[in-house]
Amino acid sequence: MRIPPQLFRLLLLTIGIVGSYLVARYFLTPPSFGQYGWYRADALVEARGARQLSYAGRKACDECHSEETQKLAKFEHKTVSCEACHGVGQAHADDPGVAITKPTDGLCIRCHEADPARPTWLRQIQPKSHYTGRHCVECHVPHQPNEVP
Amino acid sequence: MSEGLSRRHVLRRLGGALAGAVSLTAARAAKAAVQKGLASADAPKGYDPSQHKWLMAIDVERCIGCGSCVEACKAENHVPDSPVYFRTWIERYLVLKPKLGAGETRGEVIVDSPNGGMRKGGLKDFKPVPKEEILRGFYVPKLCNLCEQSPCSQVCPVGATFDTPDGAVLVDSKYCIGCGFCIQACPYGCRFMNPVTRTAEKCTLCYHRITRGLKPACVEVCPGEARIFGDLKNIAPDDPIQRFFETRKAQPLKPHLGTKPRVQYAGLDMEVR
Repeated sequence: MRIPPQLFRLLLLTIGIVGSYLVARYFLTPPSFGQYGWYRADALVEARGARQLSYAGRKACDECHSEETQKLAKFEHKTVSCEACHGVGQAHADDPGVAITKPTDGLCIRCHEADPARPTWLRQIQPKSHYTGRHCVECHVPHQPNEVP
Repeated sequence: MSEGLSRRHVLRRLGGALAGAVSLTAARAAKAAVQKGLASADAPKGYDPSQHKWLMAIDVERCIGCGSCVEACKAENHVPDSPVYFRTWIERYLVLKPKLGAGETRGEVIVDSPNGGMRKGGLKDFKPVPKEEILRGFYVPKLCNLCEQSPCSQVCPVGATFDTPDGAVLVDSKYCIGCGFCIQACPYGCRFMNPVTRTAEKCTLCYHRITRGLKPACVEVCPGEARIFGDLKNIAPDDPIQRFFETRKAQPLKPHLGTKPRVQYAGLDMEVR
Protein backbone atom coordinates (compact mmCIF):
# COMPACT_ATOMS: atom_id res chain seq x y z
CA MET A 1 0.00 0.00 0.00
CA ARG A 2 1.32 3.43 -0.95
CA ILE A 3 0.91 6.34 1.50
CA PRO A 4 -0.58 9.36 -0.30
CA PRO A 5 2.08 12.13 -0.46
CA GLN A 6 -0.04 14.70 1.42
CA LEU A 7 -0.51 12.26 4.30
CA PHE A 8 3.19 11.45 4.24
CA ARG A 9 4.07 15.14 4.57
CA LEU A 10 1.61 15.55 7.39
CA LEU A 11 3.17 12.56 9.14
CA LEU A 12 6.65 14.04 8.70
CA LEU A 13 5.48 17.39 10.06
CA THR A 14 3.91 15.70 13.10
CA ILE A 15 7.06 13.73 13.78
CA GLY A 16 9.08 16.94 13.44
CA ILE A 17 6.91 18.88 15.92
CA VAL A 18 6.65 16.08 18.47
CA GLY A 19 10.34 15.33 18.06
CA SER A 20 11.42 18.92 18.67
CA TYR A 21 9.13 19.03 21.72
CA LEU A 22 10.75 15.86 23.07
CA VAL A 23 14.24 17.22 22.42
CA ALA A 24 13.38 20.51 24.14
CA ARG A 25 11.88 18.63 27.08
CA TYR A 26 14.94 16.40 27.35
CA PHE A 27 17.24 19.39 27.57
CA LEU A 28 15.17 21.95 29.45
CA THR A 29 13.41 20.03 32.23
CA PRO A 30 15.19 21.07 35.44
CA PRO A 31 16.89 18.14 37.17
CA SER A 32 14.86 18.55 40.36
CA PHE A 33 11.49 18.61 38.59
CA GLY A 34 9.28 15.81 39.85
CA GLN A 35 11.33 14.97 42.94
CA TYR A 36 8.33 15.62 45.22
CA GLY A 37 5.59 16.24 42.68
CA TRP A 38 4.69 18.18 39.59
CA TYR A 39 7.02 21.07 40.37
CA ARG A 40 10.67 22.04 40.74
CA ALA A 41 12.00 20.72 44.05
CA ASP A 42 14.76 23.36 43.93
CA ALA A 43 12.05 25.98 44.50
CA LEU A 44 11.86 24.73 48.10
CA VAL A 45 15.57 25.27 48.54
CA GLU A 46 15.29 28.73 47.02
CA ALA A 47 12.37 29.58 49.33
CA ARG A 48 14.55 28.67 52.30
CA GLY A 49 17.30 31.01 51.22
CA ALA A 50 15.00 33.62 49.71
CA ARG A 51 15.19 36.16 52.52
CA GLN A 52 17.28 37.45 55.32
CA LEU A 53 15.74 37.25 58.77
CA SER A 54 14.25 40.43 60.18
CA TYR A 55 12.93 39.03 63.46
CA ALA A 56 15.57 37.22 65.50
CA GLY A 57 13.24 35.33 67.83
CA ARG A 58 13.03 35.20 71.61
CA LYS A 59 15.96 32.80 71.96
CA ALA A 60 18.35 35.25 70.35
CA CYS A 61 17.27 37.99 72.81
CA ASP A 62 17.69 35.56 75.69
CA GLU A 63 21.37 35.01 74.83
CA CYS A 64 22.36 38.49 76.07
CA HIS A 65 19.31 39.80 77.93
CA SER A 66 18.38 36.73 79.97
CA GLU A 67 17.80 38.87 83.07
CA GLU A 68 14.99 40.74 81.34
CA THR A 69 13.48 37.66 79.70
CA GLN A 70 13.43 35.79 83.03
CA LYS A 71 11.79 38.74 84.75
CA LEU A 72 9.23 39.01 81.96
CA ALA A 73 8.39 35.31 82.20
CA LYS A 74 7.00 35.76 85.72
CA PHE A 75 4.41 38.40 84.88
CA GLU A 76 1.33 38.84 82.78
CA HIS A 77 3.28 40.00 79.76
CA LYS A 78 5.03 36.63 79.57
CA THR A 79 3.25 35.79 76.32
CA VAL A 80 4.48 38.97 74.68
CA SER A 81 7.70 38.41 72.77
CA CYS A 82 10.50 40.97 72.96
CA GLU A 83 10.17 41.95 69.33
CA ALA A 84 6.43 42.60 69.62
CA CYS A 85 7.32 45.88 71.38
CA HIS A 86 11.00 46.42 70.62
CA GLY A 87 10.65 45.83 66.88
CA VAL A 88 12.74 43.81 64.46
CA GLY A 89 15.90 42.56 66.13
CA GLN A 90 18.02 40.49 63.77
CA ALA A 91 20.23 43.46 62.81
CA HIS A 92 20.75 44.20 66.52
CA ALA A 93 21.47 40.52 67.25
CA ASP A 94 24.13 40.42 64.51
CA ASP A 95 25.70 43.69 65.65
CA PRO A 96 24.79 45.01 69.13
CA GLY A 97 25.89 48.45 67.93
CA VAL A 98 22.76 48.69 65.83
CA ALA A 99 20.09 50.29 68.01
CA ILE A 100 16.59 48.83 68.26
CA THR A 101 13.47 50.97 68.03
CA LYS A 102 12.48 52.71 71.24
CA PRO A 103 9.02 51.62 72.43
CA THR A 104 6.43 54.39 72.74
CA ASP A 105 3.04 54.88 74.42
CA GLY A 106 1.41 54.01 71.11
CA LEU A 107 2.50 50.41 71.59
CA CYS A 108 0.65 50.12 74.90
CA ILE A 109 -2.45 51.69 73.38
CA ARG A 110 -2.28 49.41 70.37
CA CYS A 111 -3.24 46.46 72.57
CA HIS A 112 -4.97 48.11 75.53
CA GLU A 113 -7.25 50.65 73.85
CA ALA A 114 -10.87 49.88 74.75
CA ASP A 115 -12.59 48.20 71.82
CA PRO A 116 -15.98 46.43 71.79
CA ALA A 117 -14.57 43.70 69.53
CA ARG A 118 -11.82 42.81 72.00
CA PRO A 119 -12.15 39.86 74.38
CA THR A 120 -13.12 40.80 77.93
CA TRP A 121 -10.14 39.03 79.52
CA LEU A 122 -7.91 41.78 78.12
CA ARG A 123 -7.45 44.86 80.31
CA GLN A 124 -8.49 47.92 78.35
CA ILE A 125 -8.49 51.67 78.91
CA GLN A 126 -10.02 54.72 77.22
CA PRO A 127 -6.93 56.62 76.00
CA LYS A 128 -8.95 59.87 75.88
CA SER A 129 -9.84 59.83 79.56
CA HIS A 130 -7.20 57.61 81.21
CA TYR A 131 -4.62 60.00 82.75
CA THR A 132 -4.18 62.05 79.60
CA GLY A 133 -0.96 63.93 79.13
CA ARG A 134 1.09 61.36 81.01
CA HIS A 135 3.21 58.53 79.75
CA CYS A 136 2.19 54.92 80.39
CA VAL A 137 5.54 54.03 81.96
CA GLU A 138 5.12 56.69 84.66
CA CYS A 139 2.61 54.38 86.38
CA HIS A 140 3.14 50.96 84.75
CA VAL A 141 6.23 48.79 84.29
CA PRO A 142 6.00 47.11 80.88
CA HIS A 143 8.11 44.12 81.94
CA GLN A 144 6.18 43.73 85.22
CA PRO A 145 2.65 45.00 84.53
CA ASN A 146 1.42 44.06 88.03
CA GLU A 147 3.93 46.29 89.79
CA VAL A 148 4.22 50.01 90.41
CA PRO A 149 7.48 51.77 89.49
CA MET B 1 29.29 -15.97 3.01
CA SER B 2 25.85 -14.45 2.77
CA GLU B 3 25.39 -10.84 1.66
CA GLY B 4 24.05 -9.66 5.04
CA LEU B 5 27.34 -10.39 6.76
CA SER B 6 29.80 -8.94 4.26
CA ARG B 7 32.72 -6.95 5.60
CA ARG B 8 31.30 -3.71 4.21
CA HIS B 9 28.02 -4.38 5.91
CA VAL B 10 29.53 -5.14 9.28
CA LEU B 11 31.77 -2.07 9.14
CA ARG B 12 28.87 0.12 8.21
CA ARG B 13 26.86 -1.16 11.16
CA LEU B 14 29.77 -0.69 13.54
CA GLY B 15 30.29 2.84 12.29
CA GLY B 16 26.63 3.62 12.73
CA ALA B 17 26.62 2.33 16.29
CA LEU B 18 29.73 4.34 17.10
CA ALA B 19 28.24 7.53 15.67
CA GLY B 20 25.07 6.89 17.67
CA ALA B 21 27.01 6.39 20.89
CA VAL B 22 29.08 9.51 20.28
CA SER B 23 26.03 11.65 19.59
CA LEU B 24 24.28 10.21 22.68
CA THR B 25 27.22 11.12 24.90
CA ALA B 26 27.36 14.52 23.25
CA ALA B 27 23.64 14.95 23.95
CA ARG B 28 24.11 13.88 27.57
CA ALA B 29 27.02 16.28 27.99
CA ALA B 30 25.00 19.07 26.39
CA LYS B 31 22.06 18.29 28.68
CA ALA B 32 24.30 18.37 31.73
CA ALA B 33 25.73 21.71 30.60
CA VAL B 34 22.26 23.18 30.04
CA GLN B 35 20.90 21.84 33.32
CA LYS B 36 23.79 23.21 35.32
CA GLY B 37 22.20 26.58 34.72
CA LEU B 38 18.78 25.28 35.77
CA ALA B 39 19.77 23.83 39.15
CA SER B 40 20.24 25.98 42.23
CA ALA B 41 23.92 25.97 42.98
CA ASP B 42 23.92 27.45 46.48
CA ALA B 43 21.49 25.07 48.11
CA PRO B 44 21.68 25.27 51.90
CA LYS B 45 21.65 21.67 53.08
CA GLY B 46 20.49 20.10 56.29
CA TYR B 47 16.71 20.29 56.02
CA ASP B 48 14.60 17.36 54.90
CA PRO B 49 11.03 18.40 53.98
CA SER B 50 9.74 14.86 54.43
CA GLN B 51 10.61 14.93 58.15
CA HIS B 52 8.29 17.83 59.01
CA LYS B 53 4.63 18.76 58.79
CA TRP B 54 4.05 22.37 59.79
CA LEU B 55 0.68 23.64 60.90
CA MET B 56 -0.77 26.87 62.20
CA ALA B 57 -3.83 27.03 64.40
CA ILE B 58 -5.76 30.14 65.39
CA ASP B 59 -7.47 30.74 68.71
CA VAL B 60 -10.00 33.44 67.89
CA GLU B 61 -10.77 34.08 71.55
CA ARG B 62 -7.13 34.98 72.21
CA CYS B 63 -6.91 37.49 69.36
CA ILE B 64 -7.02 41.08 70.59
CA GLY B 65 -6.85 42.62 67.13
CA CYS B 66 -3.63 44.55 67.74
CA GLY B 67 -2.38 44.03 64.19
CA SER B 68 1.18 43.19 65.26
CA CYS B 69 1.14 40.07 63.09
CA VAL B 70 0.16 42.03 59.98
CA GLU B 71 2.97 44.50 60.53
CA ALA B 72 5.50 41.78 61.32
CA CYS B 73 4.56 39.81 58.22
CA LYS B 74 5.07 42.86 56.04
CA ALA B 75 8.43 43.61 57.64
CA GLU B 76 9.72 40.05 57.49
CA ASN B 77 8.59 39.24 53.97
CA HIS B 78 9.00 42.67 52.35
CA VAL B 79 5.34 42.71 51.35
CA PRO B 80 4.62 45.90 49.38
CA ASP B 81 3.59 48.71 51.70
CA SER B 82 0.40 49.58 49.84
CA PRO B 83 -2.72 48.75 51.89
CA VAL B 84 -3.97 46.20 49.39
CA TYR B 85 -1.21 43.61 49.66
CA PHE B 86 -1.27 41.22 52.60
CA ARG B 87 -0.04 37.73 53.27
CA THR B 88 -1.92 37.75 56.54
CA TRP B 89 -4.52 40.16 57.84
CA ILE B 90 -7.06 40.65 60.61
CA GLU B 91 -10.79 41.05 60.13
CA ARG B 92 -13.04 42.70 62.68
CA TYR B 93 -16.49 41.17 62.96
CA LEU B 94 -19.25 43.14 64.64
CA VAL B 95 -22.57 41.41 65.12
CA LEU B 96 -25.24 44.06 65.64
CA LYS B 97 -28.28 43.67 67.85
CA PRO B 98 -31.42 42.59 65.95
CA LYS B 99 -34.04 45.25 65.29
CA LEU B 100 -36.51 45.63 68.10
CA GLY B 101 -39.35 43.16 67.67
CA ALA B 102 -37.71 41.41 64.71
CA GLY B 103 -37.68 38.16 66.63
CA GLU B 104 -34.20 37.27 65.47
CA THR B 105 -31.09 36.14 67.34
CA ARG B 106 -28.76 38.62 65.69
CA GLY B 107 -28.81 41.58 63.39
CA GLU B 108 -26.51 42.73 60.63
CA VAL B 109 -22.87 41.62 60.59
CA ILE B 110 -20.25 44.24 59.82
CA VAL B 111 -16.84 43.01 58.68
CA ASP B 112 -13.97 45.35 58.04
CA SER B 113 -10.22 45.20 57.80
CA PRO B 114 -8.80 48.69 57.22
CA ASN B 115 -5.20 48.39 56.06
CA GLY B 116 -5.34 44.69 56.88
CA GLY B 117 -6.24 45.52 60.46
CA MET B 118 -2.76 46.89 61.06
CA ARG B 119 -4.23 49.41 63.50
CA LYS B 120 -1.84 52.24 62.78
CA GLY B 121 -4.44 54.79 63.86
CA GLY B 122 -6.06 52.75 66.62
CA LEU B 123 -9.78 52.12 66.78
CA LYS B 124 -10.37 55.19 64.58
CA ASP B 125 -9.28 53.16 61.53
CA PHE B 126 -12.34 50.97 61.77
CA LYS B 127 -15.88 51.86 60.81
CA PRO B 128 -17.48 53.68 63.76
CA VAL B 129 -20.39 51.78 65.25
CA PRO B 130 -22.20 53.00 68.41
CA LYS B 131 -21.52 50.69 71.32
CA GLU B 132 -25.23 50.29 72.16
CA GLU B 133 -25.92 48.71 68.77
CA ILE B 134 -23.27 46.02 69.10
CA LEU B 135 -24.31 42.58 70.22
CA ARG B 136 -20.76 41.32 70.24
CA GLY B 137 -17.56 41.56 68.30
CA PHE B 138 -14.37 39.69 67.68
CA TYR B 139 -11.26 39.67 65.53
CA VAL B 140 -10.27 36.86 63.18
CA PRO B 141 -6.73 36.52 61.83
CA LYS B 142 -6.60 35.23 58.29
CA LEU B 143 -3.80 33.60 56.35
CA CYS B 144 -3.19 30.85 53.79
CA ASN B 145 -5.32 27.92 54.94
CA LEU B 146 -2.77 25.35 53.75
CA CYS B 147 -5.33 23.26 51.86
CA GLU B 148 -4.60 19.61 51.29
CA GLN B 149 -6.54 19.84 48.02
CA SER B 150 -5.35 23.33 47.23
CA PRO B 151 -7.34 24.87 44.36
CA CYS B 152 -4.55 27.35 43.70
CA SER B 153 -2.04 24.67 42.77
CA GLN B 154 -4.62 22.75 40.76
CA VAL B 155 -5.31 25.69 38.45
CA CYS B 156 -1.68 26.74 37.95
CA PRO B 157 -0.95 26.08 34.26
CA VAL B 158 2.84 25.94 34.68
CA GLY B 159 3.34 24.05 37.94
CA ALA B 160 4.60 27.18 39.67
CA THR B 161 2.59 26.70 42.83
CA PHE B 162 2.54 23.49 44.77
CA ASP B 163 1.95 21.78 48.10
CA THR B 164 5.26 20.93 49.70
CA PRO B 165 5.77 17.66 51.59
CA ASP B 166 6.18 19.64 54.83
CA GLY B 167 2.75 21.23 54.67
CA ALA B 168 3.33 24.65 53.09
CA VAL B 169 1.92 25.89 49.80
CA LEU B 170 4.59 27.82 47.94
CA VAL B 171 4.99 29.78 44.74
CA ASP B 172 8.00 29.19 42.49
CA SER B 173 8.52 32.78 41.35
CA LYS B 174 10.91 31.66 38.61
CA TYR B 175 8.16 29.61 36.99
CA CYS B 176 5.18 31.86 37.73
CA ILE B 177 3.97 33.61 34.58
CA GLY B 178 1.66 35.98 36.47
CA CYS B 179 -1.58 34.79 34.89
CA GLY B 180 -3.50 35.24 38.14
CA PHE B 181 -5.55 32.04 37.92
CA CYS B 182 -4.50 31.07 41.44
CA ILE B 183 -5.61 34.43 42.83
CA GLN B 184 -9.10 33.81 41.49
CA ALA B 185 -9.11 30.18 42.57
CA CYS B 186 -8.26 30.77 46.25
CA PRO B 187 -11.59 30.78 48.13
CA TYR B 188 -9.94 32.51 51.08
CA GLY B 189 -8.50 35.47 49.15
CA CYS B 190 -5.02 34.70 50.41
CA ARG B 191 -3.08 35.54 47.26
CA PHE B 192 -2.12 38.71 45.46
CA MET B 193 -0.04 39.79 42.49
CA ASN B 194 3.21 41.35 43.56
CA PRO B 195 3.40 44.64 41.65
CA VAL B 196 7.21 44.54 41.50
CA THR B 197 7.95 40.95 40.53
CA ARG B 198 4.62 40.49 38.69
CA THR B 199 4.28 37.03 40.18
CA ALA B 200 1.68 35.60 42.54
CA GLU B 201 2.58 35.88 46.19
CA LYS B 202 1.17 34.40 49.36
CA CYS B 203 1.89 33.29 52.90
CA THR B 204 4.83 30.88 52.88
CA LEU B 205 4.53 30.14 56.61
CA CYS B 206 7.79 32.14 56.69
CA TYR B 207 9.51 29.19 55.01
CA HIS B 208 12.94 30.82 55.44
CA ARG B 209 12.32 31.01 59.20
CA ILE B 210 10.67 27.68 59.99
CA THR B 211 13.37 25.76 58.15
CA ARG B 212 15.92 27.41 60.43
CA GLY B 213 14.06 26.43 63.59
CA LEU B 214 12.34 29.78 64.15
CA LYS B 215 8.63 30.55 64.35
CA PRO B 216 6.89 32.50 61.58
CA ALA B 217 7.09 36.26 62.19
CA CYS B 218 3.36 36.60 62.95
CA VAL B 219 3.52 33.83 65.57
CA GLU B 220 6.67 35.34 67.07
CA VAL B 221 5.09 38.73 67.75
CA CYS B 222 1.52 37.68 68.61
CA PRO B 223 1.11 38.99 72.18
CA GLY B 224 -1.99 36.95 73.02
CA GLU B 225 -0.82 33.56 71.76
CA ALA B 226 -3.72 33.57 69.34
CA ARG B 227 -1.52 32.02 66.68
CA ILE B 228 -0.19 28.59 67.50
CA PHE B 229 2.44 26.98 65.36
CA GLY B 230 4.00 23.55 65.44
CA ASP B 231 5.50 20.61 63.63
CA LEU B 232 3.06 17.71 63.68
CA LYS B 233 5.81 15.20 62.92
CA ASN B 234 8.01 16.34 65.84
CA ILE B 235 5.68 17.12 68.71
CA ALA B 236 7.38 17.93 72.00
CA PRO B 237 5.63 16.93 75.27
CA ASP B 238 4.65 20.54 76.07
CA ASP B 239 4.12 21.58 72.48
CA PRO B 240 1.66 24.49 72.12
CA ILE B 241 0.04 22.84 69.10
CA GLN B 242 -0.55 19.66 71.08
CA ARG B 243 -2.00 21.67 73.94
CA PHE B 244 -4.25 23.52 71.48
CA PHE B 245 -5.80 20.34 70.16
CA GLU B 246 -6.11 18.90 73.67
CA THR B 247 -8.00 21.87 75.04
CA ARG B 248 -9.84 23.56 72.18
CA LYS B 249 -12.57 22.53 69.79
CA ALA B 250 -11.30 23.50 66.37
CA GLN B 251 -12.62 23.61 62.83
CA PRO B 252 -11.37 24.85 59.46
CA LEU B 253 -12.78 27.70 57.38
CA LYS B 254 -15.26 26.86 54.59
CA PRO B 255 -14.97 23.07 54.96
CA HIS B 256 -17.88 22.58 52.52
CA LEU B 257 -15.66 23.58 49.59
CA GLY B 258 -13.74 20.33 49.80
CA THR B 259 -10.34 22.01 49.77
CA LYS B 260 -9.47 20.31 53.07
CA PRO B 261 -7.92 23.37 54.71
CA ARG B 262 -5.38 22.36 57.35
CA VAL B 263 -5.37 25.59 59.37
CA GLN B 264 -7.66 25.12 62.36
CA TYR B 265 -9.68 27.82 64.07
CA ALA B 266 -10.95 27.58 67.63
CA GLY B 267 -13.80 29.75 68.89
CA LEU B 268 -15.11 30.41 65.40
CA ASP B 269 -18.52 32.01 65.05
CA MET B 270 -21.03 31.13 62.34
CA GLU B 271 -20.60 34.57 60.72
CA VAL B 272 -16.97 33.96 59.81
CA ARG B 273 -16.38 33.19 56.18
